[in-house]
Amino acid sequence: MSAVTVVVGTIKGTFLVRADRARTSWKVEGPLMKGWKATSVGPDGAGGYVLATASDVYGCAVHRSTNFVDWRQVETGPAYDAGSGFKLNQIWKLVDVGARLYAGVDEAGLFESPDHGETWTQVRGLTAQESRKKWFPGFGGLCAHSLLAGDGGRRLWVGISAVGVFRSDDGGATWNSKNAGVPQVIPDDEHPEIGYCVHALVQDPTDHNTIWRQDHRGMFRTQDGGERWERIENGLPSGFGFPIVFEPRTRTLFAFPLESDEYRIPKDGKLRVFHSKDGGDSWAPLANGLPDEPFYETVLRQAMAVDTCDPAGVYVGTTGGNLFWSNDVGASWQRLPAAFPRILCVEAFAEA
Amino acid sequence: MARVTVQLPSVLSIVVGDERRLTVEAESLAAALEQLIERWPGLRGHLFDEAGSFREHVLCFHNQTSTRWLPSLDVPLAEGDVVTILQAVSGG
Repeated sequence: MSAVTVVVGTIKGTFLVRADRARTSWKVEGPLMKGWKATSVGPDGAGGYVLATASDVYGCAVHRSTNFVDWRQVETGPAYDAGSGFKLNQIWKLVDVGARLYAGVDEAGLFESPDHGETWTQVRGLTAQESRKKWFPGFGGLCAHSLLAGDGGRRLWVGISAVGVFRSDDGGATWNSKNAGVPQVIPDDEHPEIGYCVHALVQDPTDHNTIWRQDHRGMFRTQDGGERWERIENGLPSGFGFPIVFEPRTRTLFAFPLESDEYRIPKDGKLRVFHSKDGGDSWAPLANGLPDEPFYETVLRQAMAVDTCDPAGVYVGTTGGNLFWSNDVGASWQRLPAAFPRILCVEAFAEA
Repeated sequence: MARVTVQLPSVLSIVVGDERRLTVEAESLAAALEQLIERWPGLRGHLFDEAGSFREHVLCFHNQTSTRWLPSLDVPLAEGDVVTILQAVSGG
């Protein structure tokens, strides 16, 4: 295996982009699982990997691999009960929290696996919310797309569009809305605790109660597990955007702001990754090596990633199928000489 | 029991590998489909929705007859019949 493997999940299949640890030249493999959307990929907690696929025709599934190349579909993936009234449209996020693997899905819900993705059961406490009947989909669907964990998996956060952030302090049995300080997008008269449109969440691995939130209504941070969110947009050209990632060694945040929810294009037609080295207090653009010509592709919520090398690599996949990479924590960038289908997710895996 | 041919679309090779054209022995269309799912349990979610109906854009033909025209899948099979799973394609 190469030292660094970047899994590029697209609307038409999965690609592997591989390099040695210097990450100066890359080799592209794929497409794997041709014709299937790759919607999330991550570690399975047992030394291998899990990947979620979806099809507008054939539904979705979970696959496991030990080498990124050979994938086996698990036989009993996440599935709502026939009587639930819910439909499983897509698996948005696979997250290993140690003892369990979670899948955040559309229609919004969570599933958990005790055996690294082989079998799944629904986390019923989330969809048992009294407000569930009023949950309203965002433009991308009614999706549970972000999941964070702390306290050994006892404390969980889930981000649902366009409902908001819920937190569980009992391993998923019960959940409470945690959105104070964030403006709503669709207030609900019966359930004022919903109507928020979180786009992505990322967590400080040294303090699980510090979370950054790219929301429909702006960029926010909490330092108390979601009890209170504060707006942090100093230096950003717009508060709107989708991905937010955190590089722990240099404690750098990366984001990709877009011009308003109405237009959803890069501000002024410039591809600019923004970063913050002070926990979100201030932001600045990164442009060295990024195209200066007009650029109107965007970056979806799961299409930005960092690796664990030193210095860290940063990877940005666009809706136009371009992959931009940096091997120096964003100081300089290059475009991979390949054009993929629309990129849905990017994850980077480096050998220890 | 009738020996029938089942044909699956290439995109489902993600589950069935290279066995996209195979022979099964079954008395009815429903039994033939159930045999496929017993062999590849992951197929169930790809072919059927939560209510147990074929997914909206999945077509199943018994010879030249779409199952959408049939009241149920309890259709007797005859030796040499062909069951074909297709992706419904529309638009341009």
